[in-house]
Amino acid sequence: MLELNDLSIVYPENHGPLTAVDHVSLRLERGGRLGIIGESGCGKSSLALSLMGLNRKARTHGTIVYQGVQLNGQSDKAFKAVRWKKIAMVFQNGSEVLNPVLNVFEQLDEVLKTHRRFSTKQRRELVLTWLERVGLDRNWAFEFPHRLSGGMRQRALLAMALCCEPELLILDEPTSSLDARSRSELMGLIDSIQADQGYSLILISHQLSVIEAMTTDLLTLYAGQMMEYGPTHTLLHHPMHPYTRGLINASPDYQIYKELWGMPGGNHETPASNGCPFAPRCVQKGPRCKNSRPQVQIITDGRSLACNKGGIEILLKGEHLHKSFALKKGTVQALCDVNVELKSGEILAVLGKTGSGKSTLAHVLSGLYPSDQGRLTFWEPGLDSLSATRKRDGLQIVFQDPYSSTSHRMTVLDTVKEPLDILGWGTSESRRDAALSALAQVELPNKPEFLEKHGHALSGGQRQRLSLARALTMKPRILIADEITSMLDPSSRANLLRTLMGLQNAQGFSMIFITHDLFLARKVADRVMVMDRGRCIEQGSSVRVFQNPFHPRTRELVDTMLGNVKNEPMLGMKQNVYNLLKPREAETFFQVNHNKEQRRTP
Amino acid sequence: MRYTLPGKNLGARMEQMNRFTKNLHYFSPTGKAGLIILSLFFLMAVFSARLTTHPHDVSSGKALMPPCFDHVLGTDDIGVDLWSQLVYGARISLLVGFLTAGISGCFGALVGMFAGYTGGWMDRFFMRIIDGMMVLPDLPVMIVLAAFFGPGLAQVILVLSLFSWVFTARIVRSRVLVIKQKEYVIYARISGAGPVYLMRKHLFPEVLPLVWVSMIRLAGKAIVAEAGLSFLGLGDPTSRSWGLIIYHATRFPGIYYTRFWTWWLLYPFLALSGMVLALAFVCRDLETLADPRMNQKISGGV
Repeated sequence: MLELNDLSIVYPENHGPLTAVDHVSLRLERGGRLGIIGESGCGKSSLALSLMGLNRKARTHGTIVYQGVQLNGQSDKAFKAVRWKKIAMVFQNGSEVLNPVLNVFEQLDEVLKTHRRFSTKQRRELVLTWLERVGLDRNWAFEFPHRLSGGMRQRALLAMALCCEPELLILDEPTSSLDARSRSELMGLIDSIQADQGYSLILISHQLSVIEAMTTDLLTLYAGQMMEYGPTHTLLHHPMHPYTRGLINASPDYQIYKELWGMPGGNHETPASNGCPFAPRCVQKGPRCKNSRPQVQIITDGRSLACNKGGIEILLKGEHLHKSFALKKGTVQALCDVNVELKSGEILAVLGKTGSGKSTLAHVLSGLYPSDQGRLTFWEPGLDSLSATRKRDGLQIVFQDPYSSTSHRMTVLDTVKEPLDILGWGTSESRRDAALSALAQVELPNKPEFLEKHGHALSGGQRQRLSLARALTMKPRILIADEITSMLDPSSRANLLRTLMGLQNAQGFSMIFITHDLFLARKVADRVMVMDRGRCIEQGSSVRVFQNPFHPRTRELVDTMLGNVKNEPMLGMKQNVYNLLKPREAETFFQVNHNKEQRRTP
Repeated sequence: MRYTLPGKNLGARMEQMNRFTKNLHYFSPTGKAGLIILSLFFLMAVFSARLTTHPHDVSSGKALMPPCFDHVLGTDDIGVDLWSQLVYGARISLLVGFLTAGISGCFGALVGMFAGYTGGWMDRFFMRIIDGMMVLPDLPVMIVLAAFFGPGLAQVILVLSLFSWVFTARIVRSRVLVIKQKEYVIYARISGAGPVYLMRKHLFPEVLPLVWVSMIRLAGKAIVAEAGLSFLGLGDPTSRSWGLIIYHATRFPGIYYTRFWTWWLLYPFLALSGMVLALAFVCRDLETLADPRMNQKISGGV
């Protein structure tokens, strides 16, 4: 029905042309529902305005074809034929779009008057019905816009767009200023009227839950370029472009547990004209991304993607890893057929009880000892776990015990630049500079007197930061954090974690975060892997695993640690005791405690 | 550039001195007394020519003179001044003590580090040797060996070293085993550090205090052992070590019936026990200093 072929929209600014939409091609069928997401300034609204032919300042290249007729061209005639009659739009900001000196009824009436031929009486009847259909009471029709609330204004605008019975409805941020209840009401309304009228829908929104509820296809725009396109549900749950993933990670309706972090950097930087526009902010940018513009490629089942690296890279892949240790009698199977995968920029939490093989996994991945069986592949062919830890931009590990992981005898400076010294990287000045900047990154002072301090003069939290700084001097692509916070007090733990997460977000390294603390994992992880007795029993997105664990042991772990009843940790404790003791013992346990308390009260 | 280099060295040396005086602060009164006694003996050995008026190997008076103004500690059976003998004997005792300690300490440290670092069959091989050496009764074997090699200072030092390195090796190995498991060593290893780097940067600096302590302890033992061998007549007959003075004195028929022992036997005995005691005191204080648990308190200067 609607076809955009290589559409570009260019604003002729004083200091040079500004490309708002850059070579976008897409098709929308009758009754189709398309969502468009992207950061502000990515060209969503420009695209919408241009579809209505309302973007007079801009020059368009390429074609907009609506039902076989090219709309953009020399004159405004083609647009006039379809505007409001065929293509209607609900604007973003209700209060500015409505004319303040006309009341709601007059405004709708005016639209009908210009675009449809009806008698005055018919028009009046039509306007009032539509206002009622969108849930605005008849009494409000004769009020001026400033007397209406935001939700009412939005409804009035919707009625205005719908009263001409268009075939394509464009909604530009219709719900951004509404509360949750009015939002879902309005969305329900649009949904039900669509079922009635069968119009197509283009929805521009920042609220991904709205997008997921309302649309079937989704387009991601960055700097006017199409980054990813595909079915909404799969796109939102399995994004393939780092930008799409960044958008999802920054939205609270998808990251319900994890800390929210926006993508670092702004989109105000003008990207290199011939490179990937997202490259300056991308976590996996390579040399090719700087000077080669990614082409939109069709991947599978209607998904297409514009990325030089073919989407989010897999940095590390372990297949069928086995590791056992010999005991005096027999062996212990520390890893048993473990498959692990780490994507770039992703935080994978490895959860499990003590002795479940978490640390063994970390050690095998970091090349401390080889696995008995299985294959370990890294992002570059020819890289193995030994060479990955011995290069910059490689793999680094931070250990659990700060008192053991840094020498008490060496000075701060020597400790931090040790890996560089071992590598013999650069000159001694550049090593020193790298160490200083790493210290600054982990928020340790880099004054000379601190640099000369010995390890034993530092606190546990400081020493853990020190070992983090040591790993960061190597600018790692993968950081394995093996229970790094388990020996710290809650406050230093929180501080260290915030620093770490901030660094992860800014530098974009991938992280394997090993912990037995489910609360912590929930705050940190994108994806969770649960281990039990050397086996990986469950893997999945953090939200899925914590809300709906598949494996009975994961369920047990989640239940006992988080408490069966939400927000009542004591009940969880009680559950723990029940699990540990036999039921009858547990009864007596609580009975006795109860009696004690009773005795104490008088 | 030309000026910074010596300046830097000087600064480092000053710092070392500072650290030394700071550590001195942690010595107990007995330890300090031991240090003073030890340095007195050192001075005695260094300035022996100036401290004596009579030769130490040639007769210079009547035989068996009791202490008097000319011969402060009297003379022995052939009229050699006992004070001179004692002063020159300090040279031999210190030489034997510290050379033995140095040789066996270095060798033991090397073996211990190597065995501890490599592990496996190499470790087991060295450990069995060390175990064997430890259970051997050292005095009889030393007597046999000394008799086999013949008398002489170098031979004595060699024999003593042969039996002393095992203690250092054992201590160093156990410490290396502990350090090897530390995560900062593991980290350095997976970052690509080779054995030479690890030994130089991590293992050696950490075991060095232990080596020092065990060397001091070995020095005390070696001095006693040398005296023992000399006393048994297996020392260097041309030298005049303290053990040899005692040997000659006890060989003198009727030493216990006369009052000769009050100078001839007593003063070398006092010198010997004084030095061993001083070494023991210093050693005890160094041990507490080198204790890894104490380490934090000291070099932090808390």
